[in-house]
Amino acid sequence: MIKHLFKLIWNKKKENFLLISEILISFLVIFAVFSSITYNYLNYREPAGFKYDDVWMADLGSPVQGENKDSVMLVFANLKNALKGMPKVRDVSLSSNNVPFSSSMMGSGVEYGHVNIQSDMYRVDKDFAKVLQMKMQSGRWFNETDRNPVYLPVVLNAAAAMALTGSANAVGKLVKMEHQTLRVIGVADNLKDKSDFKTTSPGIYTLIDTSSIRGINTMLIKVSANADARFEDQMYRLIAGTTRAHNLQVAHLSEMRTKKNKEIIVPMVILLIISGFLIFNVALGLFGVLWYNISKRRSEIGLRRALGATAAGVSGQLLGEALVLATFSLIIGSFFAVQFPLLHVYDLPAGVYMIALLLSVLFIYLLVIVCALYPGKQAAAIHPAVALHED
Amino acid sequence: MLKNYFKIAIAVLKRRKFFTFISLFGISFTLTILIVLTAFVDHLFSPSYPDPNRDRELFVNRIRLEASKKNGMSMSPLSFYFFDHYVAALKTPSKIAVYTNGEMSNGYKDNRKIVVELKYTNQVFWDVYQFQFLEGKPFTGGQLENRDKVVVISAATRAKYFGEEAQALGKYIEANNTQYRVVGVVKPVPFLNNFCYADLYLPYTLVQDNLKDQSLQGRFCATIQVSSSRDLPALKKEFAGMISKLPRSDESYDLIYCYPDEYLEVLTRGLLGQGKDKSTGKAFLIFGSFLLLFMLLPTINLVNINLSRIMERSSEIGVRKAFGASARTLTYQFIVENLILTLFGGLLGLIFSLVVLHVLNASDLSPNMELKINPVVLFYSLLACLVFGLLSGVYPAWRMSKINVVTALKANN
Repeated sequence: MIKHLFKLIWNKKKENFLLISEILISFLVIFAVFSSITYNYLNYREPAGFKYDDVWMADLGSPVQGENKDSVMLVFANLKNALKGMPKVRDVSLSSNNVPFSSSMMGSGVEYGHVNIQSDMYRVDKDFAKVLQMKMQSGRWFNETDRNPVYLPVVLNAAAAMALTGSANAVGKLVKMEHQTLRVIGVADNLKDKSDFKTTSPGIYTLIDTSSIRGINTMLIKVSANADARFEDQMYRLIAGTTRAHNLQVAHLSEMRTKKNKEIIVPMVILLIISGFLIFNVALGLFGVLWYNISKRRSEIGLRRALGATAAGVSGQLLGEALVLATFSLIIGSFFAVQFPLLHVYDLPAGVYMIALLLSVLFIYLLVIVCALYPGKQAAAIHPAVALHED
Repeated sequence: MLKNYFKIAIAVLKRRKFFTFISLFGISFTLTILIVLTAFVDHLFSPSYPDPNRDRELFVNRIRLEASKKNGMSMSPLSFYFFDHYVAALKTPSKIAVYTNGEMSNGYKDNRKIVVELKYTNQVFWDVYQFQFLEGKPFTGGQLENRDKVVVISAATRAKYFGEEAQALGKYIEANNTQYRVVGVVKPVPFLNNFCYADLYLPYTLVQDNLKDQSLQGRFCATIQVSSSRDLPALKKEFAGMISKLPRSDESYDLIYCYPDEYLEVLTRGLLGQGKDKSTGKAFLIFGSFLLLFMLLPTINLVNINLSRIMERSSEIGVRKAFGASARTLTYQFIVENLILTLFGGLLGLIFSLVVLHVLNASDLSPNMELKINPVVLFYSLLACLVFGLLSGVYPAWRMSKINVVTALKANN
């Protein structure tokens, strides 16, 4: 039966060429859309790894001015103490400016044995994990004992530990970064800190000390839930007064998160609207063409009915023909689609493409079935006597 | 003759209403997207308030330094010294506006937080960019020199601080933990023009870094204006000569990439060229292939439908052929019919896009964005319409003109 249908389509390949190419291109469009939806959805489902509620970021705009590095250290130490003395402040941490949901990035190569990876680099202080309520997978976070050790201590995130040491426990291992040897003291959970839709990448946390204090101009401040704009105003004045900051900005991580998510959501919505209309357009076209083809084949269908084919048989045949047509396109389309994971065109995991491929195949079949159902039913309703009389 | 074709086309359109609907839907929808897209591109690139002389301006907004030995790279805006010392010495420029990128800061008023974007500018900035002042005027050279804490604000900022319709001239606003006296209020500029968009415009002398610092990197950008667009190549050449003479060393950096770019180039170089290559060709390629792919689907759909419609009329074609109509006449007729259909769809598309543009302008997707259909956009849409009509009409018409008279007359349905 299926072989017969293939033969029918093949005999009319010239007529069906346009229809096949139309389904093919729709399939490719749908595949692209599903790939990006799947990718973003899988990322969205991953746990954040930290809490951003009631965490504020203070960006000093320019580095703190001071006679020397020690005096800058002192300015920050005083500021931290003053902030912690405020009633609604829970915890304060210094940080490099690549705080969660900011647009800044800082990276570095990290080496362990022969493995060399590119990693995000975060300069933080010992209260950073408390402010963001990070969880450790193994080892520990920085503490007071980390002053002047033999090797500078670092904390890796799970992704970096996985990339560097594989399944072995990374704690205690020595890694190299920027010609320095560092000792891994702990492995922390991955932070999904770029946006809710960005995958986690390797990250390495180093402790801020006098050698790196010059570049530091950002703080994270955990406040209590009832901190309002009036309190923020007080805090703003305190920070601006202490550091003589040039372009101080205080922002809430939750608002920064919304803004970052928008960067993904807005293009996605536009993409969905446009492709939605495209597909609707194609569906209408498909419906129209199938309908027309059936009205052209009235006599053939009438003859089949007269020879004893059932109504279900006739509509089934037309549906089958449409599905075979779709299968032709899908085979060609899948050939193109599998090139994406094979050639690593974009940096997406192969699983995403496979899910997207499956979903798009299902979607196209569904679309074709919906478009062929009504014309098929129309065909089944053809009365043999009327159809044959016309001829 | 055309009138006749028109009559036939209308009659055909009326006959198969469902097919007509599909065609019109496809055409008008595709056109709407194209018009909205071109309006957006037009908003991004064509000279408009407050930058009417964009065709004789070049922009310098980043410098890329590379240490090829150490595999190191850094890219940032430039120092004030760079513009003051090197660029100011060039002979081709007639005006050089120097300003910082937008920098975020906060102000607090009546227990409300106001987030503002600051821009520090020089005096020439107000000359290069033709802001429309609703109140007051730009800060003067004297105020700039004295480091007076004065500010020009946008009307949107005035509304945030003082309420709608309030006068702001001479009043003080607080941002950045500092009181600034308002000397001018300007009509807001589009958010997407980040060379001149800001909420507060301050004298550049108020930045607290050392303006005499001789390093190349810093926080400043510049718009360089020349007296006529014919001088742009000369300026680029002179600028490149100046860059090649900049001091460099193996220690810190040995490669310097810094270019005065036209408006499109400065965007593509940043987005696609990593501050090195101009990449305008790449940008056109990406944009073009996206457009082509986007238009391909509705076109094939339309070809498919047109084919069905025309084949339906095989008996009519057979009769006309039998009475001596040539293949060319028939092809011509069907293309004209199809063009009429496309133009009709185009008209609908125009109406839809007016609605969409209105909705987009009213939404706060991008502040102060005013998308409109200008004559250029209209021309391109019309062109797109014609191309669309031709593309989707030619193949079916050709197929139809090949029909054998005898088969066509015999089929008779």
